[in-house]
Amino acid sequence: MRWSIFILFSLIAVAIDASVGGILKIGDAQPRFLPAVVVFALLSAPRLHAVRLAMLAGLLADLMSPAIRADDTQLVVIGPWTLGFALGALAVVPLRSLLYHRNPISSGFATLVFTLLAAVAFVFIWTVRAGILRDESPSWWPGSGAGEVWHQAKVALANGIVAVPAIWLLDKTRPLWGFSTAKRVVPGAAREVV
Amino acid sequence: MNATRFLQIIAARLKGKRLDWTLASLALVLALLPARALAPWTGDIARIAAVPVVPIMHLGMVLRDRIRPPREAFDPRAPEVVELEMSAERYRTLFEQARLKTEALDREVAALKSVRARIGNTGVQLETATVIGIDPTRREGLIRINIGARNGVHRDAAVIVRGDIFGGAVSSDVGEFFSLVKPAPRCTISVRLYPADGADDARAAAAFPGTVLKPVEGGLWIGDIASDAEIREGQVARIADDRFGTVARGMRVGRVRRILPNAQVPLARVVEVEPIALLADESGVVVAIDPPEEQAARSGTAGAR
Repeated sequence: MRWSIFILFSLIAVAIDASVGGILKIGDAQPRFLPAVVVFALLSAPRLHAVRLAMLAGLLADLMSPAIRADDTQLVVIGPWTLGFALGALAVVPLRSLLYHRNPISSGFATLVFTLLAAVAFVFIWTVRAGILRDESPSWWPGSGAGEVWHQAKVALANGIVAVPAIWLLDKTRPLWGFSTAKRVVPGAAREVV
Repeated sequence: MNATRFLQIIAARLKGKRLDWTLASLALVLALLPARALAPWTGDIARIAAVPVVPIMHLGMVLRDRIRPPREAFDPRAPEVVELEMSAERYRTLFEQARLKTEALDREVAALKSVRARIGNTGVQLETATVIGIDPTRREGLIRINIGARNGVHRDAAVIVRGDIFGGAVSSDVGEFFSLVKPAPRCTISVRLYPADGADDARAAAAFPGTVLKPVEGGLWIGDIASDAEIREGQVARIADDRFGTVARGMRVGRVRRILPNAQVPLARVVEVEPIALLADESGVVVAIDPPEEQAARSGTAGAR
């Protein structure tokens, strides 16, 4: 897998999410393209790199989504989305053997699962952070964590829907990504068909 | 040299899952650091990371604005907004004006119908008029209406309000375009006192007690009445003669307010009558203009008097 291509597509996805993605907003749920890119990579990348590439994308998400503090200053907290994406990757990687990963619909389902788990981890980390550091309030304040999970669930559903065409398009760029298609050859006697 | 070797050792040891766990632990530590530890440097890293994203983001913004143009912020002080608000206010005023005019016309039509139904086809001309001026002191009580000799108005023409209430009579000062009206409480009027619940049609007018009401201070009338007449408070005074034209005969002018003993004449009593309607409080009236021959006859009668 070519990391440069992954980083390039991640940057493009982040830029789209921050700009033109707003036109896809339904109610208060705006779908994001970054999870679709991550899931596309997760479904084909080597297992060894799966968590790492998800964490890199999560780091990008953290850097691009600063929290607004009570004094109207911005604070970039590195970690919540990074760990959330890592958790999502840990959930999606085992699904690879169950899903036909060239099928965009199964990719959409994988994106839904990925985003949902990432959102749960994100809310959990922010809740712990707000509990430990009393002067910090999460981005969903004054709403509740449960409300944010519900909101993120709607976003996850939107992500899953958007991922279907997005991953279909990404699949057209598959040669660029340099995914390994070599199969492992297991030593032993070849079967002879009688 | 030692640093390079240290990094080599670290790189050699941090591989596979160990690297993942290390990165995750580092992320967890960073996620739980207080704001004062993060604020000095994470913002700068975010700004650096955003550098390659910004051109694509700008393109996306242009595309978004093409697909869904942003709505311009509403400025309540913008000239077109002010002009629209003024237009709306102007049309609202015109609408209200038209509504009031319609109501006034409806009232005029109703009053004309009421008077016409009362007098029948007697040749009397009915003209509607608007009260355009009142005596501010209300001492003389003269009222100015917007029709005059040009419309055929003549002296002592009856001015009727609300269909069947005698409001006053046109004074001798009749202008070409306006007239002065002497309100009923300033006139001496010959009346008969009818029951409060309306005239008893079965009986002739002579069956009801009559009196001549003379104006007194306070916009009231008083009149002498015989002791044997059956009088109650609230009875309605109706005009009993043709001094203000045949139209005015039988019209309501006032209501008995009090019945007092007459100190000078023990066999008589005094009734105090208050007007039913004040001309100064009305906006529209109907003026009954007699036919020319009747006007001439009344002038002759008045001259003979």
